[in-house]
Amino acid sequence: MTSHATPRRGATYELQRGYRLMMVPAILAVGIFAIVPLAGMFGLAFSDYHLIRGTNWDFGFQNFAKMLSDKRLMNSIYVMAALSFFGVALQVLIGSAVAVGLQKITGKWRVGRILFLLPYAVPHVAVALIWLSLFTPTLSPINAFFDLFGITVPAFLTSQWGAITAIVIADTWTNFPFAMLIIMAALQGISPDLEEAAAIDGATRVKTFIYITLPLLAPALLMVTLFRFIDSLKHFPMIFVMTKGGPGRSTQATNFYAYVQTFQNSNVAYGAAIAVMLFLMAALISYYVAKLNQRVTT
Amino acid sequence: MKHLFTAALVSSFALAAPVAPTAAQAEEINVLMFGMPYTVGLAKLADDFEAETGIKANIDVVGQDVFESRITLSFTGGTGDIDVVHTPVIQVQRWIQAGWLQPMTDLVSEETTSDILAGPLGAYDVNGDQWALPFFAGVGLMSYREDLLEAAGAEVPQTWAEMLDVAAKITTDDQAAIALRAVPGQGFNMFIFPMVMRAYGGTFFADYEGGDLTPAINSPENLEALNVYVKLINDYGPAGAGNFNFAEVKAAAENGQVAFTVEGTGIISQLVDPAKSQFADVTGIALPPGGPAGRSPAIGVHGMGIPASAPNPEASARFIEWAVSSETVAKIAMSESFPDFTTASVAQNPEVIAKYAAIHPDFLTMRVAALDLAIGHYRPLIPEWPALGQAIGESVNAAINGLMTPEEALEQADADMRDILGL
Amino acid sequence: MIDNSPEFRVKRGIGLTLMLVLLAFAAVPTLWVLILSFRAPMAIFQPIWESPLALTLDNFFKITRSNFPSALMNSFITAGLSTAFAMIVGVPAGFALAKARLSGKFVASWVLLLLRMAPPVGFVIPLFLLYVNAGLIDTYMGLVFAYMTLTLPLVTWSMWNSFAQVPDELIEAAIMDDANLMQAFLLIALPAARPGAVAAAILAFLVAWNDFFYALIITRSGTATAPVAVMNFISYDSVDWASIAVASIALTLPILPLMAIANRYIVQSLSGAVKG
Repeated sequence: MTSHATPRRGATYELQRGYRLMMVPAILAVGIFAIVPLAGMFGLAFSDYHLIRGTNWDFGFQNFAKMLSDKRLMNSIYVMAALSFFGVALQVLIGSAVAVGLQKITGKWRVGRILFLLPYAVPHVAVALIWLSLFTPTLSPINAFFDLFGITVPAFLTSQWGAITAIVIADTWTNFPFAMLIIMAALQGISPDLEEAAAIDGATRVKTFIYITLPLLAPALLMVTLFRFIDSLKHFPMIFVMTKGGPGRSTQATNFYAYVQTFQNSNVAYGAAIAVMLFLMAALISYYVAKLNQRVTT
Repeated sequence: MKHLFTAALVSSFALAAPVAPTAAQAEEINVLMFGMPYTVGLAKLADDFEAETGIKANIDVVGQDVFESRITLSFTGGTGDIDVVHTPVIQVQRWIQAGWLQPMTDLVSEETTSDILAGPLGAYDVNGDQWALPFFAGVGLMSYREDLLEAAGAEVPQTWAEMLDVAAKITTDDQAAIALRAVPGQGFNMFIFPMVMRAYGGTFFADYEGGDLTPAINSPENLEALNVYVKLINDYGPAGAGNFNFAEVKAAAENGQVAFTVEGTGIISQLVDPAKSQFADVTGIALPPGGPAGRSPAIGVHGMGIPASAPNPEASARFIEWAVSSETVAKIAMSESFPDFTTASVAQNPEVIAKYAAIHPDFLTMRVAALDLAIGHYRPLIPEWPALGQAIGESVNAAINGLMTPEEALEQADADMRDILGL
Repeated sequence: MIDNSPEFRVKRGIGLTLMLVLLAFAAVPTLWVLILSFRAPMAIFQPIWESPLALTLDNFFKITRSNFPSALMNSFITAGLSTAFAMIVGVPAGFALAKARLSGKFVASWVLLLLRMAPPVGFVIPLFLLYVNAGLIDTYMGLVFAYMTLTLPLVTWSMWNSFAQVPDELIEAAIMDDANLMQAFLLIALPAARPGAVAAAILAFLVAWNDFFYALIITRSGTATAPVAVMNFISYDSVDWASIAVASIALTLPILPLMAIANRYIVQSLSGAVKG
């Protein structure tokens, strides 16, 4: 980092005060509308607030104790892990592949990249409905198309792994463009000289990619992965619309389970406790993102 | 930048002004309903109410999921921003327990209540108070394809056992026999499955009417019923039937992919309407199949209640009385596809009779026959039902999709019920 | 480099095929939505090759008679205003974070990230109660403030990164020349970080535009946004597929020109931020 210029002492003080003043509105805005609800969430998580059983406002760790022996919660974490892992992996893979591919496309065909961006703009509820119809064999044009050739496409949504696959595909469809955008950006930041130099030194394309391009892309890839991973903790509309958590409970990810506890089972306090757990997980991951970003920007 | 800032500031005040607090004034009420033909029709008549009473009604019709979230928030917050609320009968006990509704016993006139079908009205009579007035009673009916039955040489099945036989005859590689709701949820598979349960003599509790709420979901009768349900969907349903909800069931019937559906009147009436379905002219209507313990068509009742936080219950009650009046309901029955009214005198209205007889001659008679057979506590009327129905529905769905055997599924449901009831 | 070896052609062929497969993945659902939006109600789930002429424009007319157009307008107003406010507040904050000498910078960046990541289920009820007490339910400003909890961290975070690329010397030189901090910011730093600012604004707009959750909680009939209005096409016993398809198109189209214009800027600014 470059050293700060130090004119007169008084001027420096003035300057730093100026900087701090510029931050005040942002701190106020975030403080009121974000911190208050979050504080409320933590409060509820330690309470016994239940809509029909009645509430004594006993505060304690009872909800967190319950979580330890809650098999459905364990199951939901497992589902969430599967959805997040496969979803994020596919998004990053497809996003990178398209970004690399689009780099080679020049001239008027560049307009075509808009086709890859389209899915990013469709609202999630609509994404879920569109894919629900595509995965329902009796409605899906894909099934009808393959039927023409006598090929039967299996039903996805009636088995645990099929349903998880379906949700992962829908989620990937709408979110891979985000990965694509960031990786395209990173690719542009890589000087072509480096790759050319490697080629002149006799490296194959594959070797160039592995030893030159990939290490330079690594921060971007990591950033995308972590961003998408944290977002994937909030999985909801896809599950809600496509499977309602089924078959059985096999696609009830943690966020969905918190919703069931809060709204269906009226156990607001327990739902909040689960949300607190998710929040702490997000805090842990965003800690690493922040660390990573610190290294990148300085 | 400075100009932008000023402009933004000015516009923010301009925007805040016209939409400032929406708390209902004395002459204005907010009505929150979720989308179904009656509520859509009602919203169009808001001006009539204002002309009649001078009270302006803002009728907001939203999707069901949007509705659920909004009322939970508004009621827990006690915001008083809803004066009249759509009250499904399966929720009413939970809402009363949570203190979300106020009784309307003294607010509605005898003249109004005497014209409402006793069964649906009684469903809202809890602890000696009237908590809502019904406007809708949907019942379970069966639709069947006459041409496919004839081709298979089969009769209309009267029991679920006969249904299994007929379905076996109809099912081929290209033709499925039946579509039923399977996705988990108390309003999804748990709207349909109890019809099979009750036909085989299964119940949710040891003795609901006698007050013994010990779970009885893992009884042999329920196991038999679940086996039938699973077999129908897996062996005689279309591909992917294990994840069907009403929308997929309806589409399967409309596209001719199945010969039978057992569904609510709202969907059956669309399947037999030539304006809506291409197979309407060869589709017949019958009562849902029964079994050793008789026939128990599904019933879903919807009404309108007054939230505890509503500031002006008098005005709310005026609105509800108007909304379920013979005149209003008849208008909606004419303008929408709405044969599920609970206002008795509308059934005598010649125009209404003519309209629905024209869609399908058997429709109205079958509906009345099913209503007669339906029991009010088809789904138990207890505060915990929404949670119980969710849990049992998950187990039923798990059995359909082979995640558990039917035995295991009912054991799981039993354990969940005990957990929810705190037993 | 012109390479015409057979080996290269094979590799290029594989690459092209892969791109086409991925294009199909991106485009088939899009096409399906287009088809649904023009389908006559009776033919909605028939394969298009069985009844290619069962098309209608009614679905488009029908939706103009619903409350969807006003919901779309609400989406524009709230997403636009929250983006504008987030820029007004967040760009200076990002600048200050990038250039000030502060000890808590790491914590600040952590908090900024965390804010857009909290799971909503947990804080719906507290948030709602806060809004009720502030009289902000069903107001544009209420929704705009809520969106700022999403857009402001995003703008601040990405502008922080953008301003970090602007050499400190530029600012220092301006201040040496007797410019005050505001002038240095507006006249020197901001123009230098323009691509980043455009990108941040567009991403912020998208986040607000796509939001379903806050709108669900905070809005009533008066200010409901388009993603919430889409849900209203799913009713008690029917799903209005055609209207949902039309609504999806209506929600996507306004974004397209935005994306086309901004694509360049997004790439330019992000390439700075993630260069490493």
